[in-house]
Amino acid sequence: MHFLSKTQAIFAFGAVAMVLVVLELVRRRRLSEEYSLLWVVSSLAMAVLGFSTPLLQGLTRGLGIRYESSTAFAFGVTFGIVMLLYMSIRLSRLGREHDAMAREIALLGNELERLRAASPAPRGNG
Amino acid sequence: MRRPERMGGTEGRAGGARLLVVIPAHDEEESLPRTLAEVAERAPGVDVVVVDDGSRDRTAEVARRAGVPVLRHPFNLGVGGALQTGFRYALVHDYDVAVQLDADGQHDPSHLREVAAPVERGDADVAIGSRYLTPTGYRAPRARRLGMRLFSKLTSLLIGQPIADTTSGYRAYGRAVMDVCQHDLPQDFPDAPLLISLARRGFRLVEVPVHMRERHAGRSFYTLGRSLYYPYKNLLASLMAMLQRP
Repeated sequence: MHFLSKTQAIFAFGAVAMVLVVLELVRRRRLSEEYSLLWVVSSLAMAVLGFSTPLLQGLTRGLGIRYESSTAFAFGVTFGIVMLLYMSIRLSRLGREHDAMAREIALLGNELERLRAASPAPRGNG
Repeated sequence: MRRPERMGGTEGRAGGARLLVVIPAHDEEESLPRTLAEVAERAPGVDVVVVDDGSRDRTAEVARRAGVPVLRHPFNLGVGGALQTGFRYALVHDYDVAVQLDADGQHDPSHLREVAAPVERGDADVAIGSRYLTPTGYRAPRARRLGMRLFSKLTSLLIGQPIADTTSGYRAYGRAVMDVCQHDLPQDFPDAPLLISLARRGFRLVEVPVHMRERHAGRSFYTLGRSLYYPYKNLLASLMAMLQRP
């Protein structure tokens, strides 16, 4: 295996380590399968790029980038942005659901109050 | 949720339509008793529900003491969220018209029937109690006046119908509107974007002149921190309301 620089080696092995960490987190149920997908796919892409020097060089030349390390960096940043956008979308949806739940709690609380007022029997065997 | 039996027979009935007053309240223990007393006095026989929007004071307690049902959010959701809870309550309990009334005393309950009337008659789906149709003596701070005029112009332009007061929280909503809004409503400021999206959905809006007063107590909902976020959010949401599928 031929690495162009130390950076590329670190980048390649780092990407493999990342895949392993993500899979381990899924195994321990700390990360849901849904969220792991983006991480696994992007880390795998990074690893392939890191270990295949001709591919990395070709891509760098094709995109008109001067250094191979910049290509790796660009991929990392792009992935970060995609992930953040995805998180914002998920967060917006969770916020909506969370608010709907609060409204439902308010209605149920009122219903409970009404039922309690209607049947003033003592709770338990008193 | 199970439908509760109607209590009191004709309570809340006004010319055949069942009318509910929805009062969103956030930390309004000082103003609320006076507002509730006024509603009972100036619009007798009308059903009221208070939506306690995550207050940290005794808002819920004060309302219960006045014999008014309370819907209590576990945390603050904003006026839009409170309104949605009120709509859900109105739908579950078979009300035909819901009138939104501020807890702080700015809205005079004497106008309640006038605001509800167009919706009750079926002439409109939303009736807006408007400060600016006729000179009613209401004066807002300059910056706010400017913002209000901007959103009034924008709304009028986008929906092709003049709306003088887009920020008024004194409104009556019909059942069809509540049915749509219970799931989908701008959370923090249900102003211009809501009116635009309702008009786009084909609901008929109408304005009714009302007189507004100074608040009884407490502070205005539109604080300094919100004064920057409000125009941004409202402008964006207004334009989006035009682009979204109705």
